[in-house]
Amino acid sequence: MHRHNPLYCIIPPYMLKNIATHGTDLQQATAISSLKTSAQLRGQRNALTDFNAAAIRVIVGTKDRIVYTANNGSSLPGTVVRRENDPPSTDVAVNEAFDGSGATYDLYYNIYQRNSIDGNGMRLDSTVHYQKGYDNAFWDGQQMVYGDGDEDLPVDQRIFNRFTISIDVMGHELTHGVTQYTAKLAYSFQSGALNESMSDVFGSLVKQYSLNQTAGQADWIIGAGLLTSNVNGVGIRSMKAPGTAYDDPKLGKDPQPAHMKDYVNTVSDNGGVHINSGIPNHAFYITAVELGGFAWEKAGQIWYVTLKDKLTSSSNFQNCADQTYQAAADLYGSGSLEQQAVKKGWAEVGITVGGTTPPPPSDGCLGSLLRAVGAAPAKTG
Amino acid sequence: MEVQRIKYERTGGFTGMRFHADFEPGELPEDQSRPLLDLLDKMDFDGLPEDSTGTATLPDQFTYTITVQTSQGERTMIMGDTSAPDEMQELLRMLDRIARRRQ
Repeated sequence: MHRHNPLYCIIPPYMLKNIATHGTDLQQATAISSLKTSAQLRGQRNALTDFNAAAIRVIVGTKDRIVYTANNGSSLPGTVVRRENDPPSTDVAVNEAFDGSGATYDLYYNIYQRNSIDGNGMRLDSTVHYQKGYDNAFWDGQQMVYGDGDEDLPVDQRIFNRFTISIDVMGHELTHGVTQYTAKLAYSFQSGALNESMSDVFGSLVKQYSLNQTAGQADWIIGAGLLTSNVNGVGIRSMKAPGTAYDDPKLGKDPQPAHMKDYVNTVSDNGGVHINSGIPNHAFYITAVELGGFAWEKAGQIWYVTLKDKLTSSSNFQNCADQTYQAAADLYGSGSLEQQAVKKGWAEVGITVGGTTPPPPSDGCLGSLLRAVGAAPAKTG
Repeated sequence: MEVQRIKYERTGGFTGMRFHADFEPGELPEDQSRPLLDLLDKMDFDGLPEDSTGTATLPDQFTYTITVQTSQGERTMIMGDTSAPDEMQELLRMLDRIARRRQ
């Protein structure tokens, strides 16, 4: 069915070209689409020659995915097993990686008008079957990488299933890419915990969006399905109740705090980036539930704008609280219900918007030492 | 070079969970200790860097810390998933499998 495009009718080509180069992602896509239609109608085959290839990819607003297999080795990206227009594979991990990156693209494009990780139509590459017995998924700066869990152990000894089993894991990894192209949050201590939290927030929103769940219906579990039935746990992290995702003799107890008074002061895991992320995670959860409806609409929009436009590499929890509060004002008005919900979200984790950072059970002398040698970001404010 | 004790620790990753093992090779079943000792015999730890995590830390990658204790002393090495020297990859996989089975 032909869709009427109002841009084609009323905006002259020179303006369309300007929009196609300098507009938002959605404006660029619409403008380039209009130029293409216009060029076809007038037989101008060279109408688009002054745009670079990257800009042309914006046209799409459609997905461009490749899934590779590492065949249990560690060479990346590996061998291609599925491209964008290929039929589904017989390999479930391949299809999960393909569908998960597609669902993530859809959330970012449909809701936040962001065209892929870099905002410019970047192809989404994933590699599955990385190494043997690899209990992990990561973003290597260019692509997603997924292990198969404990597939190399006897069934009754396995703790982890394959890492593509949970759609929010894929949303989480791709969001590390988005952060890399936006706020560039340094991956240690509080900025690192914010980096992790942003990935959990949008990972969970990818899942909620794909299931069409409201904030009240969502489970807010990160990594549901990753743990086998041999261990006692519902997932890796809980945004609703940090610290309750698992409690098992093999794994110990989920160490995430939900409040600044329980902030964990450690240098392990880059300064506890996967632990203290429970605090901003919970602030987002409270904000989303307070607002009700679909979390990706208002709470997600506020967090996205904050990530894209307001945070910097050294931002800490207090900065994030203040900037989400400001973003809510920018989007919905000062004193709006949305802004009040943000304030409440941070208050419930022990951070006062506009206040001073509670003397974080800070990283203290060790953190100072790490900063001195460049292993941690400089403190701000 | 006789290896007396091995300490292995894996932190970070998507789960943020710590896995570790601290053992004497003799404690392991023969089918695990033999290939491990054979591999250790072939390795030149003195030729490997103590810290090969690199300057940029990549999201969700594991950090591995391995300490090998011999009659001549102790050597500790820290590395990340993609920054680990090629010579270490097989040892990492072997120690990780031992740690996961003992967890």
